[in-house]
Amino acid sequence: MSNPLKRAIRATAGVAGVALLASILVGCSSDGRETIHFTFSKREAFTFMNQAVADYNASQQQYEVVMDTSGPDPLAASFVRGNPPDLMLSNYNHEVSRFVERCALSDLSDTTAAASIRDDLQPLLDQYGVCEGRTSALPYSVMAASVIYNKTIFAEYGLEVPTTWSELIAVSDTLKAAGVAPFYATFADAWTANQGWFDYSVGGAVDIPDFYDRLAEEGTEVGPDAPVSFEKDFLEPVEKMQLLAKEYTQADAPSRTYDAGNVAFAEGEGAMYLQGPWAFSQIALTAPDLDLGTFPLPMTEDPKDLKVRVNLDLVTIIPEEAKNPEGARDFLEYLFQPEVIQAYNESQLGFVPTDDGKAPDDPRVAGMIPYYDAGAFYQGPGVLNPRAIPTENYAQSLVLGTNAASMLRTMDADWARLAFRQPPVTSKEGSE
Amino acid sequence: MSATTSIVTGGNPKVRRSTKRVEPIYYFFLFPAVILFTLAITLPGVVGIFFSFTDSIGIGDWEFIGFTNYIAAFSDPAILTSFLFTFGFSLVTVIAVNVIAFLLAVGLTAKIRFKMGLRGIFVIPMVISGIIIAYVFQFLFMNSVPAAGSALGIPFLETSILSNPDLAWLGIVIVTAWQSIPGTLLIYIAGLLAVPGDVYEAASLDGANKRQQLLRITLPLVMGYVVINVILGFKNYLNAYDIIVGLTNGGPGTSTRSISMTIIRGFQTGDYAYQMATATLFFIITIIIALVQLSATRGRNAL
Repeated sequence: MSNPLKRAIRATAGVAGVALLASILVGCSSDGRETIHFTFSKREAFTFMNQAVADYNASQQQYEVVMDTSGPDPLAASFVRGNPPDLMLSNYNHEVSRFVERCALSDLSDTTAAASIRDDLQPLLDQYGVCEGRTSALPYSVMAASVIYNKTIFAEYGLEVPTTWSELIAVSDTLKAAGVAPFYATFADAWTANQGWFDYSVGGAVDIPDFYDRLAEEGTEVGPDAPVSFEKDFLEPVEKMQLLAKEYTQADAPSRTYDAGNVAFAEGEGAMYLQGPWAFSQIALTAPDLDLGTFPLPMTEDPKDLKVRVNLDLVTIIPEEAKNPEGARDFLEYLFQPEVIQAYNESQLGFVPTDDGKAPDDPRVAGMIPYYDAGAFYQGPGVLNPRAIPTENYAQSLVLGTNAASMLRTMDADWARLAFRQPPVTSKEGSE
Repeated sequence: MSATTSIVTGGNPKVRRSTKRVEPIYYFFLFPAVILFTLAITLPGVVGIFFSFTDSIGIGDWEFIGFTNYIAAFSDPAILTSFLFTFGFSLVTVIAVNVIAFLLAVGLTAKIRFKMGLRGIFVIPMVISGIIIAYVFQFLFMNSVPAAGSALGIPFLETSILSNPDLAWLGIVIVTAWQSIPGTLLIYIAGLLAVPGDVYEAASLDGANKRQQLLRITLPLVMGYVVINVILGFKNYLNAYDIIVGLTNGGPGTSTRSISMTIIRGFQTGDYAYQMATATLFFIITIIIALVQLSATRGRNAL
């Protein structure tokens, strides 16, 4: 063997050895601190959370938090492998709630943080299913969403915020007659049709928790002859939604995406936008000083029916199989310190879920605060439908004008078929 | 696998190829592949089929529920339409890709200028990742084409075809074809170059024109390559995933959801066992197709 070749082999082996050693050493950090594996995947808040992690690491000597931002899909895989993170700060939805139902998450009821959570939020968690006798997740940030409107355009045409369906139509007619698109819609992204259009319409008209409880009781019987079904209860609001989508959106709504929509809305191409507060930061990239406000979408003739859509944007979770539950609890309590949780929610325009939490001080979300404080909120059917039902896609079909009755009948059939293989979830304890 | 091969060498002492046992080196080559294949393909496959008879969501406890998942799957319009969409899409794409690639290959093997340069350009789409192609085309379909449509006053183009539930599949066929034509093209070029020149000489002496030469000589002589391309292509299109995710994400509505997308959703939605049943059905159907293709092409000396 020639000398240069030997040298090359030796060098390669050396590099491989160092790489191997390095990979072994990753498990514990150099100063002997215990590692806390923490997952967080809300892109908009990475800057804040990186700072919070750095502050925590600097504040004590025992633990070192390592943040993983790889998102929900690797997370599910980590549970399957039996190697979940120590602490998760994640969106609460059906992907997470299945871990709750199978009791794969540890009980947090004895933490200081648990005692400070607002009581009227628990039903929101329970709607997704429960693990008997456990507090599996603690809300960290509640996001309220409703119609975003351009105050400048409204003022220009002398329009008031509508509080009933007929006022909404009157406002839209005025705008349409003036050549302004009343609603800017982005139907190319199915989730926007689901989150804004479908949820606001149905949530503004139907008693959502009651509807899902009755639907779960029907189980496999849900269909054309059942006393409760998507077709019976959702048809009216869905047809109203289709009217708005057909008559009062800009011409190219079917081929606009969310990103394009944020730019267009910022440039004043529409008066109302069915999006959540997460869109504010995106709109501000184009128009930082745009005067925006929010109001719940009126779907009935009674202003008392007005409600805002909420979702548990972030909850904290410690899996049963966490390697370092003590460390995870320590960091959890740190995150729930009033100044940290308040600052986080302020930065994301979220609502603090604790008893003494203050609403975000931002005029753009001010229109929703009275409704949130009064408990006039609902979680949308778009997130409450089990994910096995492709609700986003159905909502997209609906706003693009498919036959509402037959689409909702498909949804009924999907529900019944799912109930046939998996018993549905109710918010009432003990009813399985 | 314990059979030994021995080559009868007759009386010729110079040939010393007789071995009582197989050289151990062959096992050395074989075993890593067999072990990896078993661990990475066979074992997970068997586990998946096993779980299709349970109510598992991927984690936690589960129970056997017999054929419940299969019964539900057969009555599920979402699954049936995804099968129909996938087979229809594969059929159209495989025909379009092979016709275009074959004609391009004929052109690129003819005596034309810049032959090598053109070949290089045509092969570029093959080296770009599918998801990137899909996002670029999504932008074109959603923004550029409608903008051009309204500028030129063609109402048909003003709304994107990807937003039209009846036409979105066409967009997927176009992009998939754009990506997979180069690979097919390369195989056809290899096939065309392997056809000996003297048969064309003989044909032209007998008075065959170019079209007759193409249909009566070129096509039969590269038939083996056509079979390979059709089988490989069909198999790829049945697994269509990344381009659809980037272009329509299964929409509008559920009109372009392929079988792979339907199955993958099972992991994201806690419907693991149910979609394992779908995967098992898909597996059985593709095996049947493979057997049909093999028996139909046997005797052509293609495989």
